[in-house]
Amino acid sequence: MSVVCGNCHAILDASNENLAIFQRFKGKTDKAKPLIPLGSRGKWRGAVYDVIGFQRRTGNADGESFSWNEYVLFNAAKGFRYFTEYNGHWNDATPATALPEEQAFGTKYLGKTYKHFQTVTVATAFVLGEFPWQVRVGEQVRVADYIAPPYVLSSEKNANEVTWTLGEYVHGKDIWKAFSLSGEPPKPTGIFENQPSPARVSMGEVWTAFALFFCLILAILTVNESFAQKLQVFFDSYRFQQTAGTEASFVTPIFELKGRTSSVEFKTYASVENQWLYLNYALINADNGQAYDFGREISYYSGSDSDGPWTEGSHFDSVLLPSIPSGRYYVRVEPESEARFGPIAYQLTITRDVPNYDLYMAAIGALFAPAILISWRTFNFEQLRWAESDHPR
Amino acid sequence: MKKFYLAYGLLVVSMLAFGEYRGWSFERVNEVKNVPKSVRDNPGSYRSVYAVYHHYTGGK
Repeated sequence: MSVVCGNCHAILDASNENLAIFQRFKGKTDKAKPLIPLGSRGKWRGAVYDVIGFQRRTGNADGESFSWNEYVLFNAAKGFRYFTEYNGHWNDATPATALPEEQAFGTKYLGKTYKHFQTVTVATAFVLGEFPWQVRVGEQVRVADYIAPPYVLSSEKNANEVTWTLGEYVHGKDIWKAFSLSGEPPKPTGIFENQPSPARVSMGEVWTAFALFFCLILAILTVNESFAQKLQVFFDSYRFQQTAGTEASFVTPIFELKGRTSSVEFKTYASVENQWLYLNYALINADNGQAYDFGREISYYSGSDSDGPWTEGSHFDSVLLPSIPSGRYYVRVEPESEARFGPIAYQLTITRDVPNYDLYMAAIGALFAPAILISWRTFNFEQLRWAESDHPR
Repeated sequence: MKKFYLAYGLLVVSMLAFGEYRGWSFERVNEVKNVPKSVRDNPGSYRSVYAVYHHYTGGK
């Protein structure tokens, strides 16, 4: 164990009765001021801890130097734990309780797989307070980080030993609250290696849920296809020619819509050729006078030009009226067209309780859109995370 | 987020099931109450709100 004098920053051997000086600090600096003052006491994870040591470590990756701070916490019954801080990102680290099993692309610890993130040589740049090992400024270790957010498993290797610690990403404000620190913790900048994704869900989980809902939608479709009435309640053929001064509207015979409140499909076929036919429909309840008005145009055009033959429009039209109660109904039809078209033949088919496939497409779209959004956010976040690693994606 | 998506998904699927049961549709219809029974004898006495539709007379 070593102790660092808070005034002269000399590093002393605490196990030596005479407090032998390991190292005289080369240059006191205010640049490495601990954000958590030594001596702070707070309740953390159910135990009271004292902050007894602080060190700054410096590493170099891809030619860029970076530093982070480590705080040593001590509880007489629980032992030591560490807070690490880099650019406002905090980790709560404890010594590993089992030996991790190193694998090809990571390591396995207590049944959980951690992916290798970065290996870098770091040196202790500044120390203050007490440490459970003989710390020296300039001491170098090889640090390898393996991540499974919000956890990071770190190995520190020197010539004599390998030390494993397990860190968990924590928020600075929780530390500030636990240790009753004044002011605000520094705001995190960038994305840290084991920072949890803001989506808080993996892409695999989202798409598994989407697949589950998709199956549910297919099940609903199957049930509805099996049990929907799809009952044709009316069919007739007509012929129409626009004539000035003649009332074109007429009503159909009364037909019955049975069963629960459900959809009613109007299907129209018209033999239009470079013509249009517009039909004002009104589905009217013969008993209570409730009417459902709507209009449909059927037009079909074809021809040929320099690009070749072309067509536009259709001879068919279909519309699904929503939530029509049962009862006795008739349809008022008012056709419109142009007198120069001559007579146009058309047919009307009315069917009760028809599945609405648009609803299924809308439901799939409503589930697909957030799944894509979450995946996109997660993907971007992971890209930024891994950009800082030894394995940029 | 996972719980939110699960809850949202259940809501969407429930609405789909209920909507299908009740015959929901995206089509727009104009509901008119108390149409007189005389319409059956005189269809011209009723005028649809869609009668002012401007027809497309296009083609390429």
